[in-house]
Amino acid sequence: MDFRFTEDQLMMAETARKLLADTATSAQLRTMLANGMARDDARWTKIVETGLTLTMLPEDAGGLGLTEADFVLIAEAAGYAALPEPLVESAGIAAPLLAAIAPAHEVLGDPAATIAIGHAINPYVADADTAAALLLHHDGATYLRRPDEVRLIREESLDPFRRLFKVEWEPSGEPLSAAPDLWSDALDRGALFMAAQCAGLAQRAIDIAVDYAKTREQFGKPIGAYQAVKHLLATAQVQVEFAKPVVHAAAIGLAQRDVFSRARISHAKIVAAEAADLATRTALQVHGAMGYSWEVDVHFLLKRALALNTAWGGPGFHRERVLARLRAAPAGPEYGFAHAGMEA
Amino acid sequence: MKLLVAVKRVVDYNVKVRVKSDKTGVETAGVKMSMNPFDEIAVEEAVRLKEKGVASEIVAVSIGVSQAQETIRTALAMGADRGVLVETDVAVEPLAVAKVLKALAEKEGAQIVVLGKQAIDDDMNATGQMLAALLGWPQGTFASKVEIADGTATVTREIDGGLETVALALPAVITADLRLNEPRYASLPNIMKARKKSIDMLKPEDLGVDVTPRLTTLSVSEPPVRKAGIKVPDVATLIEKLRNEAKVI
Repeated sequence: MDFRFTEDQLMMAETARKLLADTATSAQLRTMLANGMARDDARWTKIVETGLTLTMLPEDAGGLGLTEADFVLIAEAAGYAALPEPLVESAGIAAPLLAAIAPAHEVLGDPAATIAIGHAINPYVADADTAAALLLHHDGATYLRRPDEVRLIREESLDPFRRLFKVEWEPSGEPLSAAPDLWSDALDRGALFMAAQCAGLAQRAIDIAVDYAKTREQFGKPIGAYQAVKHLLATAQVQVEFAKPVVHAAAIGLAQRDVFSRARISHAKIVAAEAADLATRTALQVHGAMGYSWEVDVHFLLKRALALNTAWGGPGFHRERVLARLRAAPAGPEYGFAHAGMEA
Repeated sequence: MKLLVAVKRVVDYNVKVRVKSDKTGVETAGVKMSMNPFDEIAVEEAVRLKEKGVASEIVAVSIGVSQAQETIRTALAMGADRGVLVETDVAVEPLAVAKVLKALAEKEGAQIVVLGKQAIDDDMNATGQMLAALLGWPQGTFASKVEIADGTATVTREIDGGLETVALALPAVITADLRLNEPRYASLPNIMKARKKSIDMLKPEDLGVDVTPRLTTLSVSEPPVRKAGIKVPDVATLIEKLRNEAKVI
């Protein structure tokens, strides 16, 4: 199996990174917060123009027909930028679900429109108020509702950029689809792309802390020159480096849809969330008292890491899935990329 | 009208360059490389000229190592039609690059060659001017605005004293300054299409150009560390220090 990303995949990720670095600066994010903005229209327009919202849509639905392996680096870039807009949730999770049911649906025809998704594993629906449609789960069936057809109750998130809503609705009428497997796919994508965002934001936290450690001086030297600081950061970076390949391997194998691929996704979610937790706490520590202040961006990342840790399944849920795989077949290095039908 | 646009692979502008321990140059191993930012502006301008119907084809050219194909691919994703890589492992100097571009401009029958005003690695700011001289074409350097009509390129140049507007009879060489435009992001569909666009591979000898370096780098070193400043209590002390210590007044 070739785990290297193609030049196209790397160039797409670079485009996403560059665009988000230019348009989701600290000052821009803070302006959004100060003005209670749900979305930065200029940034979202550029995201749409660049085709990022079309990545995971099949070509017959007007998309680029790319896969999770293509989108995973874009999700990492979104995590790195602490992107407030629901690019990952809409384009990476909800849109493929709707396209699998109704590729000609009008909502998919507008690349700027976002779709919110309410999976049973998440108590609240993110960005439901700004979405063109909500995909809602009930007894394995899929229902589509417009925001004005449901009652949305805003719930506070510890992440100031996450707009969470409790959705009150009635599953009346014909569902869009009764196939529960689609929700299983959505869960896999959700967990995978949350893991990718965790890997991205972990890297950002380390980068911010390293920059600070290079410039903040104590006893005549940058604090990064002291082992007590540099080893903290190195340990966090090692954890990120070990998490990223797990996330990438999970993305490549998601299409297997078996106990093995699901365990790899869960493994990715666990280790990426742990890396994000360690990296953000380390960044906080390296900044000293400054780290706790509103003026330093570390708290945005710390809060996002905490929020993503439980989104699309917390550690307990994902450990259960890894356990299910361990019970299903032998484990060991030679089974690292096992799949259903493989001889034990 | 065919446009040639030159793109150079350089150390990414976000990377803090480090001098090699043997002081023969800067470290490039394992360093992120990107298209020279001024060349990105040049590509963007070429694409805009094509979108306006002024240009019919844009050929992106790079001279350097095999990996420079990635830089050309970026230009193709931004909207160039095809690429040419003149492959060499030699560290090419501005004169050699200008000679290669001259040969290509003549071979392709280009009417305009657009380049960045300088590359951010060596900041030479020489290739465009040398190319114009070799071709015997007029040049509009440091362009902040370009308009093409009736066989003439009207170029607004950023100069020390302000802005200067020159009219160039085509064919001409134009070098892009920072404020000429804001380069677009390569869209994902265009990145995918760029894979299908061709990149011709040539060697300098195919164009009859000798790229052997003519300059010898004696040593490369970090800029001297700036000394910390001091606070002076009043204007009189400041003037006294400027006059007697710094000796600048």
